[in-house]
Amino acid sequence: MKILIIEDEPSLREIMQRALEQERYVVETATNYAEADAKLAAYTYDCILLDIMLPDGNGLHLLEHLKQQRKRDNVIIISARDSLDDKIRGLDMGADDYLPKPFHTAELLARIKSVLRRGRSGGEMALRLGNVVLEPESSRVLVGGRELSLLKKEFDILLYFMQRPNHLVDKSVLAEAVWGDHADQADNFHFVYAQMKNLRRKLTDAGADIEIKSIYGFGYKLIPPVE
Amino acid sequence: MKLIYRIALRLSAVLIPLMALWATLFYFMTVDEINDEADDALADYSELIIIRMLAGRELPPLNSGSNNSYSITPIDREYAESKSHIIYYDAEVYIPEKEETEPARILSTIFRDNDDNYYELKVAMPTFEKEDLVRTILFWIILLYLILLITLIGLTTWIFHHSMKPLYTLLQWLDNYTPGKHPDPVPDDTNITEFHRLNVAAQEAAYRSEELFERQKQFIGNASHELQTPLAILGNRIEWLLDNTEPNEKQVEELFKMQRSLNHIVRLNKTLLLLTKIENGQFPESTDVDIAALIREQVPLYNEIYESRHIICQLDLPDRFVVSMNDSLASTLVTNLLKNAYVHTDPNHVIDIALHGRTLTIANDGNAPLDAEHIFDRFYQGNKKEGSTGLGLALVKAVCHYYNCDIAYRYTDGKHCFSVTWP
Repeated sequence: MKILIIEDEPSLREIMQRALEQERYVVETATNYAEADAKLAAYTYDCILLDIMLPDGNGLHLLEHLKQQRKRDNVIIISARDSLDDKIRGLDMGADDYLPKPFHTAELLARIKSVLRRGRSGGEMALRLGNVVLEPESSRVLVGGRELSLLKKEFDILLYFMQRPNHLVDKSVLAEAVWGDHADQADNFHFVYAQMKNLRRKLTDAGADIEIKSIYGFGYKLIPPVE
Repeated sequence: MKLIYRIALRLSAVLIPLMALWATLFYFMTVDEINDEADDALADYSELIIIRMLAGRELPPLNSGSNNSYSITPIDREYAESKSHIIYYDAEVYIPEKEETEPARILSTIFRDNDDNYYELKVAMPTFEKEDLVRTILFWIILLYLILLITLIGLTTWIFHHSMKPLYTLLQWLDNYTPGKHPDPVPDDTNITEFHRLNVAAQEAAYRSEELFERQKQFIGNASHELQTPLAILGNRIEWLLDNTEPNEKQVEELFKMQRSLNHIVRLNKTLLLLTKIENGQFPESTDVDIAALIREQVPLYNEIYESRHIICQLDLPDRFVVSMNDSLASTLVTNLLKNAYVHTDPNHVIDIALHGRTLTIANDGNAPLDAEHIFDRFYQGNKKEGSTGLGLALVKAVCHYYNCDIAYRYTDGKHCFSVTWP
């Protein structure tokens, strides 16, 4: 899997590169519009991470070039400008996803996986880990082939962790991701704990071989089965 | 107090001592002039009598119909030498014909005849009654004062309104001026130099404030955008540490705390960007939004998040309340008001949410009224809550302003009441 990072900020580029290489992707980088344009003309990538605000040009023009060349590279736009207009324009021009800065590394990896999966399997969006299969489109979860019935919040939590295996997630981050921005001023995270307890019990009862582990009482981590 | 009233009042106040002074002067001048005339006549009269007497001719009759009277009294030498020979004075004189006393001017002259006998001649001439004069002068002065005042104020008002018209035009323009709304140019159709300068100054001030407003907006927007990348870097580095270095419990705790602080900045930044976007009018597309449904959908979420507080939320909503708004702004409005109520309500207390007519009221129990004037200001926090951005109500106000909704806060019966009224 070959990924091109087009990002002018060196520190962010380095972090993205390091994270992707850890996930065993082949990573190339471009620091400006001209370099990116040259690389895109010469090579093909499985996924392109595109910062649209580049010092020497608008990243959206690169998207246009790709389209003109009828290349089918997957593109995820990364932008400091979290505006609906840019998002709609980017997606209209053929981008596969739009990730506003600042983002979590885990979020970026989840988006890349999702985009690649979509590209590969022609629409089949299911996430698989061990004997657990989660279908985001139909909100179904199968454990060992048998359907597991989950409440809305339990499903959202499982989806969140399935996209981020092996990542340590803070309870407050999880609360915001699942309950929305409004959870930031809660006095405690009992409500997260309550849902998590039910989800873990249901997974264990159904015989799932993945486990959402509590780490030091501050956060959680999804441990996939050792292959 | 209006300027014209102030001018009228001052004019009246200045006129009173001025008129009093003038009346006093007028009185003394008049009295002086009349006395002067009377004294001349008395002097002539007494000279006539003395000449006749010394010449041994017949003295004029005592009463010649003129009310003038005289008396000649022989006096001894010592008395004559002890007194001044010519004295004018005022006194009351009894007039036998009228059987009453009248004020009179008297000239007393001491003279000596050829036989060295001393005589005192007193010539009296009835004059005016001073009290009458004072009364008359006072009456006319008051009348003059009133007439003068009415004329003066009338004239001043007329002149004032005609010359001050440009000022009132400018004031009206200032009343209609709202910063950031690209005002019409200042109307300047005057040829009075001072007002023209004032208009020019107002115009320049407006331009400057527009520019500053614009620049400030831009600055906040740009600064927030520029912050996004370093914030992303910082967050990702923390995540990398968490996932790759097998930190111990203490380290995980510290890293999580860093992450939470960082998330707070990220939230702050996003909210500032959102505020800037609302103020720039970057939410053009409106759809029909059912506010009642939005509240019904959000309340259970808050009940769950703040479950440990056992807050009782009472809803009084119609089936539907549809307004035309941008759906993300509608949700910003509702969620921020709800969040505000939940965060600031003590455990086991009540939140009332009611929608009547076109007014949404969210009331929650509270102990003391908040500062209604600043509560919607950015970063104003009555009692600082950890993790709060201090921008929630500023957002609510910005959204209301954007859609011309009325937003009001009041404190009644121990409840904080926020109400939004759609136009």
